[in-house]
Amino acid sequence: MSWLSRLKSLLQVQRLEHDLDDELLSHIEMRTEDNLAVGMSPEEARYDAQRRFGNLTLLKEETRAVDIVGWMEATGQNLRYAGRMLRRNPGFTLAAILTLALGIGANVAIFTLVEAVLLRPLPFPHPDQLVRVYDDIRSSNTHDVGMSVPELWDLRDRSEVFQDISVIFPADANITGGERPERVEFLGTNANYFTMLGVHAQLGRTYAPGDALPGFSEAVVISDAYWHRGFGGDPNVIGKKIRVDGDLYTITGVLPPDFHHPGRTLTADVDLWATTGFAAPPFPAPPVRAVRLLPGVMGRLKPGFSLAQAQAQLDNFVAQLTRQFPDEYPLAAGWSIRLVPAQQDLVGNVRTELLVLFAAVASVLLIACVNLANLLLARSASRQREMAIRLAVGAGRSRLITQLLTESILLATISGVAALITVVWLKSSLLHLAPANLPRLSEVGFSLGVLLFAFLMSILTGVVFGLAPALQAARTSHRSALSEGTRGAGTSNHQLKFSRILVASEIAVSLVLLIGAGLLVRSFEHVLEVQPGFEPHHLVTAKIWLAVPNDPKGDPYFTPEKRAAFHQEILRRISALPGVEQAAIGNGTSLPIDFNHFQSPFIIENRPLDVERTPVAEIATVSAAYFSVLKTPLLHGRVFTDSDDTKGQQVALIDETLAHRYWPSSDSDAIGQRLQLAVARRGQTSAAQNPWVRIVGVVGNIKSDGLDAATPPHIYFPVFQTPPYSAVVFLRATGEPGVLSEALRTEIQHVDPGIPVFSVRTMETVVSTFLAERRFALELLGIFAGVALLLACIGIYGIMAYTFSRRINEIGIRIAMGAQRTDIFRMAFEEGAVTIALGVGAGLLGALALTGFLESMLFSVKATDPLTFGTIAALLAAVTLLACLLPAHRATHVDPLIALRHE
Amino acid sequence: MERFRLSKGGVLTKPKSDVLQGTLALLVLKTLAQGPMHGYGITLHIQRVSSDVLRVEEGSLYPALHRMEQLRWIGAEWRMSENNRRARYYRLTAAGRKQLAEEEKNWARLTEAVAAVLECA
Repeated sequence: MSWLSRLKSLLQVQRLEHDLDDELLSHIEMRTEDNLAVGMSPEEARYDAQRRFGNLTLLKEETRAVDIVGWMEATGQNLRYAGRMLRRNPGFTLAAILTLALGIGANVAIFTLVEAVLLRPLPFPHPDQLVRVYDDIRSSNTHDVGMSVPELWDLRDRSEVFQDISVIFPADANITGGERPERVEFLGTNANYFTMLGVHAQLGRTYAPGDALPGFSEAVVISDAYWHRGFGGDPNVIGKKIRVDGDLYTITGVLPPDFHHPGRTLTADVDLWATTGFAAPPFPAPPVRAVRLLPGVMGRLKPGFSLAQAQAQLDNFVAQLTRQFPDEYPLAAGWSIRLVPAQQDLVGNVRTELLVLFAAVASVLLIACVNLANLLLARSASRQREMAIRLAVGAGRSRLITQLLTESILLATISGVAALITVVWLKSSLLHLAPANLPRLSEVGFSLGVLLFAFLMSILTGVVFGLAPALQAARTSHRSALSEGTRGAGTSNHQLKFSRILVASEIAVSLVLLIGAGLLVRSFEHVLEVQPGFEPHHLVTAKIWLAVPNDPKGDPYFTPEKRAAFHQEILRRISALPGVEQAAIGNGTSLPIDFNHFQSPFIIENRPLDVERTPVAEIATVSAAYFSVLKTPLLHGRVFTDSDDTKGQQVALIDETLAHRYWPSSDSDAIGQRLQLAVARRGQTSAAQNPWVRIVGVVGNIKSDGLDAATPPHIYFPVFQTPPYSAVVFLRATGEPGVLSEALRTEIQHVDPGIPVFSVRTMETVVSTFLAERRFALELLGIFAGVALLLACIGIYGIMAYTFSRRINEIGIRIAMGAQRTDIFRMAFEEGAVTIALGVGAGLLGALALTGFLESMLFSVKATDPLTFGTIAALLAAVTLLACLLPAHRATHVDPLIALRHE
Repeated sequence: MERFRLSKGGVLTKPKSDVLQGTLALLVLKTLAQGPMHGYGITLHIQRVSSDVLRVEEGSLYPALHRMEQLRWIGAEWRMSENNRRARYYRLTAAGRKQLAEEEKNWARLTEAVAAVLECA
């Protein structure tokens, strides 16, 4: 049954209905006339005519139903026939299903990632209204400098942009009272955080209006994961008291298992939420506008606001505040507030990678389809008799095409189902392959979108590889096929040329993928070659967190002296451990590679102030042995000594970058100069209260922000002059670094059993975690490119072998007429070489056009790097030429006698 | 090669007489072999030639015509009838002619077989 006419009839349903109506009407009229002629009265005549039709509506319905029933019948027959055809060639069918299942499966897997991370909106009501709010200082080109509490209040009450706004303050927290102290991932927020997101507790409640206090409310909320991990899923956990950073809190709620804080955290998913107004101890009270205390802010825009409108209104408000508070917001500094949609903030930096991977895997499936299409084209020659007969007895061409397409779609759908089952079955193993710090990884799952995608992809695949062979087969002229005595000699040159173009396009696509992978490989190599500025092997790090209780009087480490004493005792003990060559301690930002920084503008004494471009440096505090433990060279002057404590003169070290930049003639000129940090610190009211520190030495650069970022300038302060609450311990091990973790933990807990030790890692682990994302993209793209190459080789081998099998007669004649083997070989080879050359040429052009998309993933390699392009093109050409060799070689060994007899 | 039988599977309305239903296609095709005709004309022709023994129900005719049209056994177009009335005329196609030959052959075989059984008394 012709699908074309069914389609036509569907489109012309209206016309058809009218046609049918008219036709029936005219029939009735004609009978009425005849009845009148026989002598019936007009009423009788018409009545009789109509009665014969019975229920007119029913008749019309039945006539139309013939369409649908016919279509169903035809499709059923198509499917049954297709099934028979597939069963008849089990080898081909199995191979095709395996290839397609692999291709479709890979696509579904990557799409699952793309869907969960990029496409699916955040799981909150009106997620497009959620934004992150960032403060930037344009003059020093610093971003995300933090917000002060009074500024937050202004945004909440006076800006008219937000319907809700809350601080998000990630931190470490000590849970004590159990067997050993535990460090949990903590998030401090305002009391409206959960209502802003639209989240309800699964057990108990989130914050109530009564929890909106200037200081910490007693209510805390825990995550589902922490509920199971720390409390065994105990349903009586509501009302339980826990000691966090020395203070007693009450658990009031447990959050649902699928809730994740939609932002970055320190190490892992948030375990514990507490709420405070940030306007009481342990925060400075009353809050000061000059102190940018709050590291993160999230808001929900008023309904009806687009992002652009909100940003514009916010810019006006910023200008207003700048005029109102000129001391805190100096005009020349260029303070501005930037809104970023929450989803973009969370996943923005992996977007390019995921889309590139998706394009790559789709290309691989495309190549597989092209191979199958070529294979089917070749086989269509053997089915020509079947097609010719069917055409001769009256099947429409479109019927034939539908039949053949049904076969390929059936094949593809079976493969799709197999692929889906495999991906679902292997879900957890596949998830392990993804880098652990991929945002929204926990949301990855099989949604309706994924199923729909799998279904559509299967159908599309079937059409793509089935269409050309179907059209080709139905184009056969029945006369020539039936009258040929020879088996399948009807392959036209036209068809062969088409096949060769397909293979050339395969080669082109493979080349693009390979070049992309090559560029990523070179980037990765370059990143690995980057000198980190320290020696990462045999280096162990661990983090410790001195609890910050709300009441300073309850804080045993409130004074800097007490903290310094603690750090000194830790250092003394762990330096004495067996297996430790040397130990050092520093604050949270002293851990290299781990992305965690604190920037501050500063002033150099006796230099004119350039307010347009304020000098900015990253700040860290470290102990005397830090540079020696890290094996970072001291270039000029001296490092810290034990006498650089709270009582001594304030000193600092700077790195090479800073020295070069501000003392370009000679680094050592910096020694003896003084500088002052230009941002107010906690406990101060203005930056002018910061001490002037003397530079006593210049050290080498350390890559603190990761290996592929430019090195910012650093200023180091002695840890005992500004002892931190959050510290990192560094151990240079003499032997295996792994064994030191337990000993380290024990020693620290001897000093204070209430202090948790966490994130105990070797520096090598830190580096490889950093590289994980890059490595993931590289490995996957490499695998896809490799598979593409393999398929392209199979493609060209196949087409060459097929071409020669068609031309065996011709080759036999040539040899019989005296052609040398080398002539045959050359002829055979040339054909393949032309196809390959076409493919490589097209691939190079395509790569030139497309590798620009990889720009953000590359490191120190141009997207059009000629060395990469050239090497890979040569490699591909060599491999594919090799794939040509075998059929070409076989062609030369044709025995002319056998060839001439070949039918 | 697949063959599409009008009578199989109850594609059309419940048949009053099974034999007539199955042969409806045959009768229509044969009628049209003599020249294009509209639906009413077809019923008249069959009725007349069979001396009123065979009456084609309008309820069965139009679905059958529609089906045969979609199978491309017959084609259709609007024309003016004898009495200057607009009517839809059907004509036999090449495929329809082949189908007719096939159906005639089958009918002959069927009647032979039935006759053979009846004679064997």
